[in-house]
Amino acid sequence: MSSEARQVILDSIRAHLAASPSYDVEPQIFADERESDPPASVNIGGLFKQNLESVAGHCIITTDATDVLRQIITDLGVQRIAVSDAPELAEFGVVPGANEIFSFDVGITTAQAAIAETGTVVLDSSCERNRLVSVVPPVHIAIVAASRICATLADALAILQSGKELSPAITFITGPSRTADIELTLTIGVHGPQELYVIIDESS
Amino acid sequence: MNHLSSETFRENAKAALADTQLRGALKNATSLFGERRKQAAASLPNWEALRSQARAIKDEALSQLDRYLEEFVRNAESRGAKIHWARDSAEANAIICRLASDYNARVIVKSKSMTTEETHLNQALEAAGMQVVETDLGEYIIQLADEPPSHIIAPAIHKTRGQIAELFTAELGMPPTDDIGQLTGTARTTLRNRFATADLGISGVNFAIAETGTIVIIENEGNIRLTTSLPRVHIAVMGIEKVIPRFADLDVFLKLLPRSGTGQQLTTYQSFITGTKRNAADEGPDEVHILLLDNGRSRMLAHPVTRQSLACIRCGACLNACPVYQQVGGHAYGSVYPGPIGAVITPQLMGIQKTSQLPYASSLCGACREVCPVKIDIPRLLLHLRAEISPRKGSLAERLAFKFWAKVMTSPALYRMSAVAGRVVQRFVPISRAWTSGRDLRPIESKSFHELWTNE
Repeated sequence: MSSEARQVILDSIRAHLAASPSYDVEPQIFADERESDPPASVNIGGLFKQNLESVAGHCIITTDATDVLRQIITDLGVQRIAVSDAPELAEFGVVPGANEIFSFDVGITTAQAAIAETGTVVLDSSCERNRLVSVVPPVHIAIVAASRICATLADALAILQSGKELSPAITFITGPSRTADIELTLTIGVHGPQELYVIIDESS
Repeated sequence: MNHLSSETFRENAKAALADTQLRGALKNATSLFGERRKQAAASLPNWEALRSQARAIKDEALSQLDRYLEEFVRNAESRGAKIHWARDSAEANAIICRLASDYNARVIVKSKSMTTEETHLNQALEAAGMQVVETDLGEYIIQLADEPPSHIIAPAIHKTRGQIAELFTAELGMPPTDDIGQLTGTARTTLRNRFATADLGISGVNFAIAETGTIVIIENEGNIRLTTSLPRVHIAVMGIEKVIPRFADLDVFLKLLPRSGTGQQLTTYQSFITGTKRNAADEGPDEVHILLLDNGRSRMLAHPVTRQSLACIRCGACLNACPVYQQVGGHAYGSVYPGPIGAVITPQLMGIQKTSQLPYASSLCGACREVCPVKIDIPRLLLHLRAEISPRKGSLAERLAFKFWAKVMTSPALYRMSAVAGRVVQRFVPISRAWTSGRDLRPIESKSFHELWTNE
């Protein structure tokens, strides 16, 4: 049934396009409209922090990410900590099994990139088991190397695509989960985390 | 709640105008969204260039839609996604019901999808004995209330917190409250249980990338991430017009869509899904299915004016800007697609006979065209559709009236006489009741500009 439907739909597209009065569109290059990188004087770590904080995320820039992470965990007073399978996180918690994910207070992951102009962290599922740990627990902490912060969204898209096939699941995260579906009132933490901490590691 | 029909827009609108609570909610929502959109657009120095660029990309994709769809399908399949094609709603629903039954799905979680609203998928799945749970908070509320969405991006804006609290108390046994945080918390807890037990997740698609076979879905709540990560099967439903050529094109659309919809720089989450997971032990569903729906879309390619409708990225900006939508809200349109874009898409999807009032649900003021992030010329589309509805010449009286009017307007002497006559006649004869019943007809001034000029 589906292969017949496929043929009918594609034939219909071709027939209707062919019947249409002309409307030629040349592929256009808009290189001149792309925003150029910010001048070198702009501190992109600072810009990232400013943008993340504007959407109620927390950002800490540090040369000792481990210490900052310990401090956050202590301050939160949490017991049950889930971590991705990134080796540097193993000491902080457990990698949850398939059916355990709903019983944790905090999820910790690394991030493979970040975007300064939007305050976004980029999680690539082919690098670590980050998909559920970053969305199910009420708090998400992500650690990203300062060198992985791109200036713009366009830069991040280019890096994700460069030289390799796209990972099966990539997630952009900009702040904690939010909704305004009831009387347009902003409410933080509807399905995803109520709090997002991003630790920028400047050590390397 | 009776679901309204597009055939009775005028009656629906009249009822909506009498509903003061609805009008208050609409005023708040449309002015807030409108203001936020304006600020967000102003935050980018190249906003106008981005709009042109987005439209050029959409035009490029649509003018070679067959080629880009085949490229998308080839790349998605090579990464393990399973592709399904559906000519219409019935075929789409049959495919999804069959998949759900093949996988023995009892509980299905869904994230917001206008396309599945269009096909009435939930009713089909429920008729097949499956439990379907909408997980977007607004969609969840209207599902509990058995109502259609009233706004593309804020489906429950027509309901007050009090109404939602009553609904949650009746349906979920929640203690009465009017605290929005508590209402949201109750929804979170209830839906967590559904996510934990769901066998199947169904989502929509915002963009499908031909070059990489990737689908992109954007949101704020996190329910899409859960829907596409937890159940062992994910079905993504998309109209065939969602395909764009290149991954890099997302830069433009991810700048325009959130700013136009909610006024955000970027929504909280973007999920980029390319095929299935590489290893069985990895996270995520075992299978990813993508359903491509035509349902009248390919027909719209047949003319450059109607083809524009397919460039729509479902941001809702034209709803907020529209003086008609601002007064009557989404339900009056009797379609899942309300507002100006609904007035042009619904007749093309459902057939113009059953929807002939919709292209007239506009003053042609052009506010929708001004805010559209992909520069769809909605007023022109409305006129195009009106011409399809009334291709004939008009009644004899109408033709005579215009002939007379032309005669008067082209003769200075007759024109001067008509001004005098008009001032007299308007006192005794209520003219054009069809026109004046819904509008004010200003009285003719006691002196015309011509007379003032001569006397000065």
